[in-house]
Amino acid sequence: MIFMISPDLSFRKAGSFIKRSYLLQMSYKLEFFLRLFFAFFNILTYYFVAKLIGTSAAPYLKPYGGDYFSFVLIGIAFSTYLMVSLRSFSESIRDEQMMGTLEAMLVTPTDTTAVITLSALWSFIVASLRVFLYLLIGIFLGAKIANINVIGAGILLVLTVICFGSIGILSASFIMIFKRGDPINMLFMSTSELFGGVFFPVELFPGALQGISHLLPMTYSLNGMRHALLQGYSLGGLAPDILALIIFSLILLPLSLLIFRYAVVRVKEEGTLVQY
Amino acid sequence: MKRDEFTSLNSVSINVREGEVFGLIGPNGAGKTTLIKILCTLITPTSGRAYVNGYDVIKESSDVRRSIGFVTTDERSFYWRLTGRQNLEFFAALHNIRGNEARERIGELLRSMDLSERADELFMGYSAGMKQRLAIARGLLNEPSVLFMDEPTRSLDPGAARSLRELIKSYIVNEQGKTVFLSSHNLDEVEDLCQRIAIFDRGKVRATGTVNGLKEGLGSEATLCDVFSSFTGKQFSDEIAFIKPRIERSHRHGGFGRRG
Repeated sequence: MIFMISPDLSFRKAGSFIKRSYLLQMSYKLEFFLRLFFAFFNILTYYFVAKLIGTSAAPYLKPYGGDYFSFVLIGIAFSTYLMVSLRSFSESIRDEQMMGTLEAMLVTPTDTTAVITLSALWSFIVASLRVFLYLLIGIFLGAKIANINVIGAGILLVLTVICFGSIGILSASFIMIFKRGDPINMLFMSTSELFGGVFFPVELFPGALQGISHLLPMTYSLNGMRHALLQGYSLGGLAPDILALIIFSLILLPLSLLIFRYAVVRVKEEGTLVQY
Repeated sequence: MKRDEFTSLNSVSINVREGEVFGLIGPNGAGKTTLIKILCTLITPTSGRAYVNGYDVIKESSDVRRSIGFVTTDERSFYWRLTGRQNLEFFAALHNIRGNEARERIGELLRSMDLSERADELFMGYSAGMKQRLAIARGLLNEPSVLFMDEPTRSLDPGAARSLRELIKSYIVNEQGKTVFLSSHNLDEVEDLCQRIAIFDRGKVRATGTVNGLKEGLGSEATLCDVFSSFTGKQFSDEIAFIKPRIERSHRHGGFGRRG
């Protein structure tokens, strides 16, 4: 996604942003490693919840392999991308505003969209590292991730990042104009975990509520990931979720960029670009 | 909800010649920073046109940014936990300058700014003068034709301010031949550096011309301070007091004015 937005975005420039963020992050080493370390406890909590549930939830989990711990592990791991998307774009604007570096960046030929998008890149790298750790810890604790469709999971991951990233850019547009009180963030933060099937299958919902689940990209992302990682579905089997995510991407990406460009034009006219 | 709106610049018309040092003087809130930000494409004017190096600041904003450098007085505009060199490397990448070209350019600028020996130390350990020299180095990274400097010596002590003025004159103006557009509260600095000036007040240009030309208009004994007063109806010393809050704050009524 990052490299489709603007011809201004090159891999080398992306590398410079990653290097800068890495150096800044490593200047706070303790915080970085503590965050990764405490991810372990999050997984451990659900490991014991899964032990408590035992096989009682098996009928609901049959389409996903029947094991609750494996089910919830995928949910927690890949919902990380949505949480990161919702935070990272708006936080990167806010951080640069507060540090005072935004103006110095925006007076260069690198356009505003590129600056904000690339500033969020490091968060996605850290999120990927965290997802990898979650899966690794999960496998160590007995999650049944063995029959993996790697290509299918890769496609789903890319589409997930595009969809969630687009929602993050929409959220950043609101932050840019209103500074605080972003409805996109609030809407997706509060609904996605519940209706997206992070902790339990959406099939548990009554019909009307399932309708809400089907409006969220999270539902298709997690459903597809579970089928790809826990049951090794073929690309044909994953097609409905992949297709749904493609449709979400085709709508959300151009829409979010359009709204973000409008936000940039507006704050430049108001002179509030660097205010927070 | 109704948005608060005010006109910060009104009917401003200024031409700056290639290769000259042009100064903007005026009280806080006069619109100096707003004008510089418009010319640097950070703010879009609601009406009117502005050109930098022949490029329209609205329609050709990326061409404008490619051809300008911006030196801000805000020392927060750097990453404090990166070294001076790492900061310059990052901003060079934003200017699409990479690899050997970037390394050579950064090395040369660090030498010119007398920062080579401290280049690999964290920015947070730099003195105010070093920070400002690094800001100038950053402003020159892309070899701009025009350099915008917003109160470049504002946070410096008199000695450091004098050194920086020398650096601007000898390196940026004489050696590099840049067109410099600077705003300042310091009349000595303006007299020392600028060929022509504009006096700004309440969003309008009250006078433009050479420093000597404007002074001569008021008589042989006139100072730039007199020129400022005659065009704005204000004492420049009062305005200067505005930017020295620790010394004069108790004598003022109200808060500090917005940066102009």
